[in-house]
Amino acid sequence: MTSKTDSTNNSSRSTETAIEVSGLGFSWDPVQAPLSFPDIALKRGDHLFLHGPSGSGKSTFLSLLAGMLRPDTGSVRLLDTDIHHLGPGARDQFRADHMGVIFQQFNLVPYLSTRANVTLPCGLSELRKKRTEPTVADEAERLLAALSIPEDHWQRKVTRLSIGQQQRIAAARALIGAPGLILADEPTSALDADNRDRFLELLLNLAHRHNTSVLFVSHDQSLARHFGNQLELRGDRT
Amino acid sequence: MKARLALTLAMASLWHRKKVLALVCLTLTLSVSLLLGIQYLRTEVKQSFTSTISGTDLIVGARSGQLNLLLYTVFHIGDATNNIRWSTYQSLKEDSRLEWLIPISLGDSYRGNRVVATDENFLQHFRYGRDLPLELAEGHWFEGVFDVVLGAGVARSLAHQVGEQIVLSHGGGRTSFSNHEDTPFTVTGVLAPTGTPVDQAVYIGLDGMEAMHVGWESGVAIPGRTLTREQAEDRDFTPDAITAAFVGIERQVLTFRIQREINQFAGEPLSAILPGVALSELWRLMGQFERALLGITGFVVITSLIGLIAVLLTLQAQRAHEIAVLRATGASPALIASLYILECVALALAACVLALIIGMAGLSLASPWLLANYGLQISLRPLTATEWALLAAVPVAAFMVALIPAFGTWRQSRRLGFGEAADQ
Repeated sequence: MTSKTDSTNNSSRSTETAIEVSGLGFSWDPVQAPLSFPDIALKRGDHLFLHGPSGSGKSTFLSLLAGMLRPDTGSVRLLDTDIHHLGPGARDQFRADHMGVIFQQFNLVPYLSTRANVTLPCGLSELRKKRTEPTVADEAERLLAALSIPEDHWQRKVTRLSIGQQQRIAAARALIGAPGLILADEPTSALDADNRDRFLELLLNLAHRHNTSVLFVSHDQSLARHFGNQLELRGDRT
Repeated sequence: MKARLALTLAMASLWHRKKVLALVCLTLTLSVSLLLGIQYLRTEVKQSFTSTISGTDLIVGARSGQLNLLLYTVFHIGDATNNIRWSTYQSLKEDSRLEWLIPISLGDSYRGNRVVATDENFLQHFRYGRDLPLELAEGHWFEGVFDVVLGAGVARSLAHQVGEQIVLSHGGGRTSFSNHEDTPFTVTGVLAPTGTPVDQAVYIGLDGMEAMHVGWESGVAIPGRTLTREQAEDRDFTPDAITAAFVGIERQVLTFRIQREINQFAGEPLSAILPGVALSELWRLMGQFERALLGITGFVVITSLIGLIAVLLTLQAQRAHEIAVLRATGASPALIASLYILECVALALAACVLALIIGMAGLSLASPWLLANYGLQISLRPLTATEWALLAAVPVAAFMVALIPAFGTWRQSRRLGFGEAADQ
């Protein structure tokens, strides 16, 4: 597996590390050789493009990063915390406090309004609630406006919105309360080219403003140009 | 803070699935109303039943079982085995330990309602419920030989007024072919409703009973031998026998001794029973059925709770994506599991509140009908501790059955990877 982590990106405003991964290995089946993953060192505020075709262990890697799977070997340090040294409850809380997430689809809780979906992390994390200015509702509205969601959609059920709008709402949810890190798993694969570029631009700009690192996973190499750091996932077995 | 989030999510989720869940909630509401209603009526009917007669210390009749004696004297069900001689009644009357006696003579009917021949002691001493005396709603107690006082139920169902003349029938039964047509009775009064069998009878004097049977010695009227009202006015109608007597004892410590003495009465075979004891024995007999009924209703509630869980488990399949989002956003498996419990308990609580409202509305609508048709006086009252406990058992049961999907979700979401929807 090759690591092309480029740390010379000058957008970082802090010396903190966002992600530090070393010697990570995981095996679903003890008979098979474990999957090994590249080492990463990403500074706070920097963005990373992770290119991975299907079957390269993307989902496993993201689960390990998010603390939802435990690695067999190696360590994952996020924002200077070794998350696999935390207990299950503390890992969940860490995710609530410091991570935003965007999936490929089905990003939103269907029975909540647009605004309630955006403010969801603030209900799970006191830290993120405190970071919103001046109130949670204000920040949610500001983000929604910045992501060009029309105001009359804010109180609506999210199931009536287009995929593009749903993905932007998911981005607003990931950004609220300025988490240290956003994990984005193919968030643009359901969007057309115009929407895709616009989405990425908005996401990265807003993340930059909040000093939030974005780890962006996609099989679409053409998106790599938006990112300072790139990495290839190959799904090697050691 | 997380409890508040869980509550918000649970409520929003319930509202989102309101169409399906409203039906489940309706099923639960109906079954809870049934459970509560049956428990409520059980208490009310028991109360109404055991207070059918009060203040009477002994019921004296011809030798028979205590249930039989109670049934035909108080409930107007079945027939007397034999009569008591008038002389025996007189000797009881002379006993100074007995405060009062109400003579009862049965055997005739009026359109299916018993005719009770008695005297003014009935009005004066008969008590029901919590020591309530009889009252006349209209008119006055009978005075003349051919006067009759109607029970409230009889007056209402047959729409009789004071002053009307009615013809009594010979023998019991709803339809009788031999009527005392020569001796019509005049309604002089109507008793106020009591919610006891008193409402379903008509009351005449002992002399009236004798008078209308003159000429009926062979069981049917012999033409020319019966009396007219005019002929009856100046005759003496001391009866030969009565059916039974209600007895009030002055010093109640003597009740058992007097009961024994009457049971051993030398003149003729008699039975004296304690009405309270006989009533509770009768209730024990019927209590089996009402307990079985309550048991069945309990099962109905359990069935609808299982239905609720079946629906929740079906909905669980639709919630996989939502759970993936909540997990990745940092919600703990316990929080996700608590959504199921909150939703289930909230539905049960809603069903209980609705059942209370339905029960109250239903009862206030049904109680006039019950009084009119069954003579049951059932009023709205605050729930008893047992009824509250029964009601509270519903959300508790809902909590327990909700543990099934909650535990499943908890286990599943613990193993969930990033962005993974749980497979069903």
